[in-house]
Amino acid sequence: MAQPENATSAAQSGPYDWIGSSVPKVDALDKALGITQYVGDMQMPGMLHARIRWSGVPHAIIRGIDTSEAVKVPGVRAVLTAGDIPGINRYGLAVQDQRVLADDKVRTAADPVALVAADTEQAAEEAITKIKLDLEPLRPILSIEDALDPTAPSIHESGNLFTRTTVRKGDLDQGVKESDVIVEETYRTHLMDHMAMETESSLAYMDPTGVLTIITSTQYPYRDRRQIAPALNLSMNKVRVVQAPIGGGFGRKDDITSEIHAGLLALKTQRPVRLVYTRRDSLIANTKRHPMLMKFRTGARSDGRLTFVDADIYGDTGAYLSLGAFVIKKAGIHACGPYDVPNIRVDTHTLYTNNLSSGAMRGFGVLQAAVAHESQMDQLAHRLGISPIDIRLINTLKPGLATGTGQVMDEGCGIEATVLRIKEYMESHDLRFTRS
Amino acid sequence: MEHYSLKINGHVYETGAEPFESLLDVLREKLRLTGSKKGCDEGECGSCTVLLDGKPVLSCILMVSDVRDREVLTVEGLPQGGEPHPIQVEMTERGGIQCGYCTPGIIMSAYALLQENPRPSEDEIRFAIAGNICRCTGYSKIVEALQAAAGTPIR
Amino acid sequence: MTKKRGLGVGSMFYGIGYGFNRADIGSAYIEMADDGTTTVYSGACDMGQGIMTVVAQVAAEVVGANIDTIRVVAADTTSTPDAGPTSGSRATFVQGIAVHEAASDLHDQLMQTAAGMFECEKDELEAHNGDVYLKDANSPIASLAEVAARVHLLGGRCASWGWHDNSTADVDPATSQGDAYASYGWASQLAEVEVDTETGHVKVLKIVSATDAGKAINPVAVEGQIQGGAAMGVGYALYEQHILDEGVPRTDSLAFYLVPTSMDVPEIQCEIVEVYDPKGPFGAKGIAEPATVPTTPAILNAIYDAIGIRITDTPATPERVFQAIQEARARGEFKD
Repeated sequence: MAQPENATSAAQSGPYDWIGSSVPKVDALDKALGITQYVGDMQMPGMLHARIRWSGVPHAIIRGIDTSEAVKVPGVRAVLTAGDIPGINRYGLAVQDQRVLADDKVRTAADPVALVAADTEQAAEEAITKIKLDLEPLRPILSIEDALDPTAPSIHESGNLFTRTTVRKGDLDQGVKESDVIVEETYRTHLMDHMAMETESSLAYMDPTGVLTIITSTQYPYRDRRQIAPALNLSMNKVRVVQAPIGGGFGRKDDITSEIHAGLLALKTQRPVRLVYTRRDSLIANTKRHPMLMKFRTGARSDGRLTFVDADIYGDTGAYLSLGAFVIKKAGIHACGPYDVPNIRVDTHTLYTNNLSSGAMRGFGVLQAAVAHESQMDQLAHRLGISPIDIRLINTLKPGLATGTGQVMDEGCGIEATVLRIKEYMESHDLRFTRS
Repeated sequence: MEHYSLKINGHVYETGAEPFESLLDVLREKLRLTGSKKGCDEGECGSCTVLLDGKPVLSCILMVSDVRDREVLTVEGLPQGGEPHPIQVEMTERGGIQCGYCTPGIIMSAYALLQENPRPSEDEIRFAIAGNICRCTGYSKIVEALQAAAGTPIR
Repeated sequence: MTKKRGLGVGSMFYGIGYGFNRADIGSAYIEMADDGTTTVYSGACDMGQGIMTVVAQVAAEVVGANIDTIRVVAADTTSTPDAGPTSGSRATFVQGIAVHEAASDLHDQLMQTAAGMFECEKDELEAHNGDVYLKDANSPIASLAEVAARVHLLGGRCASWGWHDNSTADVDPATSQGDAYASYGWASQLAEVEVDTETGHVKVLKIVSATDAGKAINPVAVEGQIQGGAAMGVGYALYEQHILDEGVPRTDSLAFYLVPTSMDVPEIQCEIVEVYDPKGPFGAKGIAEPATVPTTPAILNAIYDAIGIRITDTPATPERVFQAIQEARARGEFKD
């Protein structure tokens, strides 16, 4: 299939043969025909089906796990708990604070506690309901405010404030002094799900040469391998991770999801094991988008020029960090938006709670920061009687100006061009703001 | 376990299944027709849409015992003479497909629409696929592809 | 009148890739067989956004091949080199350069052999769409397949690989001053909403997304990212929310966790802006995340423009908007 004559907006341009051409995606026709094999579409001879038993409560000490009834379900081939893990029962992208299977405590309502592999999905499903958990509830930390309370119990050994980052530029007091208007507001954002259409899924098997092979819905096979091998006590060159066609990721599949569990079951049973999350599994487990509490104070002169940004950003990363510290640090780095701001104080706080964990999700902290900085820009515009478009044009970064971290922009700085494009669109379509 | 003769895509398939098994599971796991996808298994996402006697249904909440003696059409049954159906072609060429997981369900909902209403309006197209969640495309290019397949003007 | 309309703008910048001294690499192997068909072993995962297609386009462009003769092998620790994760809007930006490097070297090998075949300098030759030309000439002197067969016959290297390190030093730990990212993406969006002041329901009527792609390597794919990003932003702004009851998720079904449907997502007008980035492949930038970030603030600002009330907590559900309107009414600050 060469360049389609009927592509909707194939801006064939410049001196190129293929760059700038809207060729159909190389994998699209197979998807349209239903030929593409996602992990859940794959079968292997002798393949078992797996299910995960989740903790169900957000914070508790594990006193016991009784699997005696589960193993009696006909067709069940393995019921595994933390003691069955041959390697290190820890993993995580930034710090190793996650358990493959919960051992001493559960820290979220979606901690994996036990695994089942069975001949059929129905048998596996039945078995997980027959696993009895003996849990001693602990006081859960359920909000950013709770996590900031120094008397609250610590979810991990390190305390509930994982880390703090700071952005400092110019002289905040001077910025406040030069301001003709100051807007102060608190913003709260919520827990969002990636909700990829394909749930987390892996198919694991021992290949004929003794390599544990995991075909999986992942965004990064090499980092998966780095985390799988130590947990299963295998050398990394005896673990092969293959990216299957993926039904959407949006950041969720950056993390380990189903890979170690499927691998562990395949290793224990010496049978191929397919672990496909149910939609419920996917909605309750693994990482989400960080809820954030953002306290912002922003100043401007009467001509619309920004004078300072003074902000505290608190991110709820749940019980496991994943990439949380980077997400929240990135929110702080981007807290001033695409604008030239001379005086800055931004602090970010990455907090553990017993809520569902958050990690990478399309936007990676910048989305939350933009909710705050763009609402602030509009509030300033209204207070100053300047249009929302103009206040942005007055302040946008341009080549030669520097970001909040002092990075000087080159010719690739495109923000002004995007605002101007919106302005042109409004003018050519006679669109006007109601309130300015 | 019961025995079923199922009419799918113009062929008769013989299979054993429990009466309460979903049509989707039988298609995917027993007959290996995996084009129909499992996105939720509770009738919310539309990825498993197939046609039953020409009407779009959610195969994940339909029991296999309910489709005896009825005609099932899945995405695998759309190509004619080895050529992809125009909906499949337009979805491919106009960017209607990203991750592709919702695609078979969307295509089946669209096929059912065009059988009933060969020249639907944009609103009718959007309504016809409202039960098919797509997380990647924002639906715009899907709607364009279906307009192209129907030969109606594209916005 | 119970329905009020408003317009809102949101702008953003987004550091592309990893920053913070984290490994930020791309890499690919490339190989041309005797018949001129090419395989790219690309370690970058394609979740549907289209990096495999971008890789094929870059490889075809640089090698001078027809895109139909390019096969891209997906990420696999046994067959492809480590190209880092597909995240941080980095795949095109980082992997595009790695593939460019690999393809350039392969192209060089081919042109070197062709120069020997036709007794000229390799700089006098170029390849397009599977054929080799003397520069500025209209008809080809050979096909790439003929040249590839010759390379193989002579025992030459008809393969290469490319590596690109986009890592940047971390910012200063006390002040965060420093070059945080190799490059940035830029975007602004306009949202038009209609707020029903009787119910608090917000309907998004239109979104205009001006997203800077640097250079749109595949414009339809860029538009797909823009439209999908905006749809996800509509969900975040208005509908989607996990509800935890004492830490226990209650939104454990799509019956409760509400994702926008084709009836909820409005027309999304794509305005592809192209401000060339000297560090990107052919000037391209990452767009996946820039495409989704401005939507929510644009909608919140549009709600303010419509009803004069600022929603500071997300999502702007009917309950939350209605309550805010009621509170404003009670204060005498809301005009119906």
